[in-house]
Amino acid sequence: MAPPRTYRAEALTLKTAPFGEADLLVTLFAREEGKLRAVAKGARRPTGKLVGHLEPLTFTRLSLNRGRNLDVVSQAQTLDNFTPLKSNLTALSKGLYVAELVDGFGSEASPNEPLLRLALDTLAALGRAPEDDLPLLYFQLHLLAVSGLLPELHCCVECRRPLEPGRHRYSAAGGGVFCPDCAAAPAVNGAPDGAGYSSGYGTGTGIGTRPLSLRALKVLRLLASRRRPADLPDLTLDEPLALELKAILTATVQYWLDREIRSNAFLNHLSRTGGGGAVSRSE
Amino acid sequence: MTLEHLPSAAPSLARLIQELNKLPGIGPKSAQRLAYYIIRLPDGEAQDLADAINAVKQSIIFCRECQNLTDANPCSVCANAQRNREQICVVEDPLDVLALERTHCYRGLYHVLHGVISPLNGIGPDQIKLKELFPRLSDGAVKEVVIATNPTLEGEATAMYISRHLAGSNVKVTHLARGLPVGGSLEYSDELTLSRAFQGRQEV
Ligand SMILES: [Zn+2]
Ligand SMILES: [Zn+2]
Repeated sequence: MAPPRTYRAEALTLKTAPFGEADLLVTLFAREEGKLRAVAKGARRPTGKLVGHLEPLTFTRLSLNRGRNLDVVSQAQTLDNFTPLKSNLTALSKGLYVAELVDGFGSEASPNEPLLRLALDTLAALGRAPEDDLPLLYFQLHLLAVSGLLPELHCCVECRRPLEPGRHRYSAAGGGVFCPDCAAAPAVNGAPDGAGYSSGYGTGTGIGTRPLSLRALKVLRLLASRRRPADLPDLTLDEPLALELKAILTATVQYWLDREIRSNAFLNHLSRTGGGGAVSRSE
Repeated sequence: MTLEHLPSAAPSLARLIQELNKLPGIGPKSAQRLAYYIIRLPDGEAQDLADAINAVKQSIIFCRECQNLTDANPCSVCANAQRNREQICVVEDPLDVLALERTHCYRGLYHVLHGVISPLNGIGPDQIKLKELFPRLSDGAVKEVVIATNPTLEGEATAMYISRHLAGSNVKVTHLARGLPVGGSLEYSDELTLSRAFQGRQEV
């Protein structure tokens, strides 16, 4: 039995690219289809009826026609435009990082409803608190979780003993936290870097471990225990802690994705400069 | 002789098709059609086309002030003493300057970014002509920056970046009104366009 020619989908637009004269090639993450690429005809004409509905970071209900190569969007209705997110440069740049990672971790013809829900929840949370570090850290950790890549945070990945307070080390390649004893062992610390695990931590240790503070471990466990970013407690991270958590999770996500995350550059640019720069005045 | 029966491997023809195919919006089929069109041109006309391409590459430069494409430096707008030097209108590309000039509504200066901030494509502020904008605002002569980037996500990101950068300076930052396009319809408008059209409503 041939599949129907027309179908409906609920999808988040991850990115768009010009296609032909006035069309748009849209990369979507759909509830039932997973990652999906489709053509939106006339979407670059200001009077096209699809224009605006298919901007990146818009959640829409779509009608699509199956095509020989690419499906074609025939109708689009916005379900959530994430206007607060798009009205703040910091939130928007974090949102684009979210979209790039959903694109990177999602796969075609492979639905992942928890990943879609995570992305939508994160975009909403970013719109509510653009400068807060927690929503993006939450997203990174849960992105790993819904992809089956959650780092081990409760037992030592080497000896499997429950972690006691101490000088732990963390390794993306090793899959989580090493207890102080195992971290000191030559197998972890001094072994030749034979497995290709160069994680960019620059510690010179066997599989790229880095120190993990007790408070960072606690925040990671807290993030992992929550079901939605809206459930996060009011928690302000001081700068060293925020930097440590960002370094750990960004490196882990990067390790699994194994390709350049382009939107990271602008995110870093904004956090370096605050985006402000105030024009110098001679007077 | 029909050109369609030329051996497809004729290297000079293949090269022309390949070069045309690199142009934006030109697929392999269109490239082939254009190539055959060029072959049929009288010798003089084909030469004119080649000369025009060469000349434009040799004489067109970026205006040292507004970064628009020009063959004089500064360009005719920047050199025009009648233009209002207190206003700079920031646009994405040179075609936008032409479009705004056709309206005869604007008498200030321009700044052409030659792109927009596009994080997903790895294009940040340093990859477009933004660093050339801010020094133009530092002597206090410019009172207003009118942002006229396209109402797309990336155009808006660029607009927000500029206004964030200028926050706290004495330069007033304004934005072209965004609303319903002529010929557009309420029914099909997205939420953001509609809400902006509402904000920008005027007394009639
Ligand atoms: Zn251990
Ligand atoms: Zn100029």
